[in-house]
Order: sequence, then C-alpha cells, then structure tokens
Amino acid sequence: MAIPNFAYKGNRVLLKELTKTDFKLRYQGSVLGYLWALLRPLMMFAILYVVFGKLLRFGGDIPHYPVYLLAGTTLWSFFTECTNQGIQAIVQRGELIRKICFPKYIVVVSATLTAVINLLINLVVVIIFALLDGITPSWTWLLTPLVLFEFYCLALGISFLLGAINVKYRDITSIWDVLTQALFYAVPIIYPISMIASTSDIAAKIILLNPIAQIIQDVRYLLITTETVTTWNYVGTGNFVIKLIPIAITAILLIWGSWYFRKKSKKFAEEI
Amino acid sequence: MENDIVISVKNLHKSFKLPTEKAWGLKQAIFNRLKGIKGYKEQKVLNGISFDIHRNEFVGIVGRNGSGKSTLLKTLAKIYFPEKGSIEINGSLIPFIELGVGFNPDLTGRENVYLNGALLGFSNKEMDTMYDEIVDFAELHDFMDQKLKNYSSGMQVRLAFSIAIRAKGDILLLDEVLAVGDAAFQQKCNDYFAKIKGNQTVILVTHSMENIEKYCTRAILIENGKIMLNDKPEKVAQAYRKLWS
Repeated sequence: MAIPNFAYKGNRVLLKELTKTDFKLRYQGSVLGYLWALLRPLMMFAILYVVFGKLLRFGGDIPHYPVYLLAGTTLWSFFTECTNQGIQAIVQRGELIRKICFPKYIVVVSATLTAVINLLINLVVVIIFALLDGITPSWTWLLTPLVLFEFYCLALGISFLLGAINVKYRDITSIWDVLTQALFYAVPIIYPISMIASTSDIAAKIILLNPIAQIIQDVRYLLITTETVTTWNYVGTGNFVIKLIPIAITAILLIWGSWYFRKKSKKFAEEI
Repeated sequence: MENDIVISVKNLHKSFKLPTEKAWGLKQAIFNRLKGIKGYKEQKVLNGISFDIHRNEFVGIVGRNGSGKSTLLKTLAKIYFPEKGSIEINGSLIPFIELGVGFNPDLTGRENVYLNGALLGFSNKEMDTMYDEIVDFAELHDFMDQKLKNYSSGMQVRLAFSIAIRAKGDILLLDEVLAVGDAAFQQKCNDYFAKIKGNQTVILVTHSMENIEKYCTRAILIENGKIMLNDKPEKVAQAYRKLWS
C-alpha cells in the first residue's frame, strides 16, 4: 500500500461510495430513519441533564449549563462512534479485503466519516440551542472547525492503531469498550473542571492534558462561554511547552497509528 | 519485459502460518510467547512458480483442491503479497476471485453496480459508459431499482457476472465463475467467451476440462504449489484426468 493518496481518483470514488453506503444503510428499516442521528445524542443529553443538572446540580455557576453539557455529550458521542466504527471497520469489511485489492485505509476513513457527518448534523442542533439560550454569535465560532479537525485526527489515529491490532486480537473491541467508559468519567463532560480543581489542583491540570478534555473545553470556550477553563488558560502557566502536550499526543497517535496500520495492512487479507 | 508479455511471474513463493492451537486472543498469545511455542505451522502453498502470459492469451489454470490455484490468483490480484519472487503486470487487471464481492442486499441493483465498479477502481463516469451494457447483458432492465435482496440468486449471479465481463480492463482474472444462470444465460456466456477468445487476455481457474478445451489457448496444471505442465489445453486436460487414474 502506498502513502494514503487521495489525489488518485479511484480512491476518492471508492471512499465516496463506501461512505454513502454506510450512511444509507445505518438507519435503514427504522421508521424515523436519519432522525435517529439527532435523537440518540439528544436523548442521552436529556438523561444526563435531568440526573446531573437538575438532581445533582453539577452545573453550579457555569453559565448556559444545558448547552455546555449538550456540547460535551455531542462531542463525546462523536468520539465513541468514530473510534468504535473505525476500530471494527477492517474486520467488518473482511469479506471485501479477502477478495479484492484496494487501499485498506479507505475502509477505516469511510467508517469514521459517517461519524463526522453525524457530528456536523448534531452541531447544528447545539448551535440552535445556543441561540435559543441567548448566546450571541461571536467571531470565535469560526475557530471551532480547527479544534474539530484535531478531534478527528485523534479519533482516526486511534482507529488506525487499534483497528490494525483488532484484526489479530479481537479482544481490542472489548478493551476499548471498557476504556471509553473510564475515559467518559476522566473527562469533564458532566462535571465542571472547577469541581475537581477545588479538591486537587494538580488532578484538574492532569485531566486537562488529555486531548479529549482539551478539545471539549476548547469547543465550549469558543462556542458558549469564555469563562470555560481550558488547557490554554489553566495548565502550565508560563510554560508553553506543557500546554502543547495534548496536541503532541494527538499528532503522535495519528502518525504512529497510520504507520502501524500501513505496516500491518499487507497481511490483513491473510489474517482476517 | 517483452512488449507482448502482459504478466510475468518469476519464482513465486508463498506460505501461510496456520495456527496449530487456538492462538487468537491476547492471553493465548502471551502464553505462547512465554512458553516459546510458535503457535503456528508453516504451510507452503506456492513453491517456485514461474510463467509468462502474452497479450490476448486465454489461459486456463487447473489443479486439485488445495493445489494453490486460488492462492496464485489472489497473489496475481495483489490481495496477497508474494513472499519471494516477483510478479510484473503490464496493463490494468480486473480480478473476479468471487462474483459479487461487496454486493449489499439492502442496496438496489443500480447502486450495487456502481459500488462494485468503485471497488474495481472505476469512477462513476467510467461506470456510466459501461452501465447500459452491463444491464443489457444481465437482462435485468426491470429490476435495477429493486433492492438486491429481492433478486433470485440466479439474477444476482447474472448481474455480478455481467459486471465481471463488461468491466473494461486489459486482463481479466476469473475464478470458478462459469457455471452461472439458467440454460439461456449459459449459452450467452459461452458465445461471449468464444467471441473474446484471442481478443482479450483472460486467466481462468476452473475444474471443467470441457471449458479448458473449448476456450483456452493454453493451460497450466498446478500440483503441490508447482507447475506440473504448461502446454496446450488438450494435453493439460489429459494430464489432469490422469491425476485420478
């Protein structure tokens, strides 16, 4: 397999066709169809909002807490959907890989692109809620795509790395299941980071070095309120290098993941 | 490479690692490594195969089950990587290791044609030019907007086969795909093969000596991963029948 070559027309056509198929078939046979792409994250948000926002009062002094929470759950849904689909893509398309020769990364990218489409649809809902809640659009909104791009790189890197291992060791699927559960609580999605900071300042800082936390807080900062605690305004004051750790982790995972996937992909047809 | 040669295979070797015990799962892998157990045994499938195929030859590949025919074809199609030796291919190669790879029962006939085309590396524009011919050959005009799951199995195979032979490539690779459809469709395929014989490079894997003698200009007999005979179809068919006598 050569270096991912999206300039080659055949690869782009195949990527488009596979993504189209994935998306078309995802909700086939359900009455509400594509609406589920919106309804599922919204329902998950509703549950979390009732439990943590209303009953446990996690929101505290955060302005626009419902939207703040919705942005968090939307991004989290994207991350789990993207990595789960991406990791299983090669095994699920095993039949194809055993019978025909094509660049294997296309299968992973097309599986993750479906999650990207869902994220974009859901972000429209977040923006509608934000406007309804009285948040005024600001120029910082334009920076969100940059952060989302970082998020996609992270999810893609993980998908390549774990997806390639998953071909031989199917345990990866179960391990990742548990790991994402743990990550959900290790990232400030339902609780505000200030809650952690009040008991342990260092724990809060470590949490913010996780790229997922950095990304979610950044999106909240850019879209909802500049009062959001982010990696940039909280961690490593005066030491810019420490602030770059989340981005470095993302870059390393993407490069390592792609390299490992490329190395292993030659044998996929025999090992699936 | 000579101008006329479209495929040149030199000293091809391929072996597989077959797990001896249940070697899947992380736990078993770690145990095996600690105990120094390899967990697999090497199975030599291709053992030094060399041949050339010239432009517009119709070459049949025959051999018993497990002799290495399909592995050879999959290596030619670049699905497997050769362990040793080299394969040089001059021109575009359209592989049909199995008919209807990637066919999805929940997509319509039309969507499946385009998806299948994309898998073979054709753009939608290129598929547009082939589409009518494919549907004509399959005789499925009224069904193209139906979902594939509503097709009979014969109809599915007809569609797949039509894509296979209507896809425009320099070299066609076919594995055990001749006996498809009803008598009328069979006849149509026979006529088609008779027509392209000598005008198109084809590699055909089959167990039917009748087809070998009818269509092929040359045949290769493979036994235990080696070429036993590479000669005229009649002679190879004779040698093949002798394997059991």
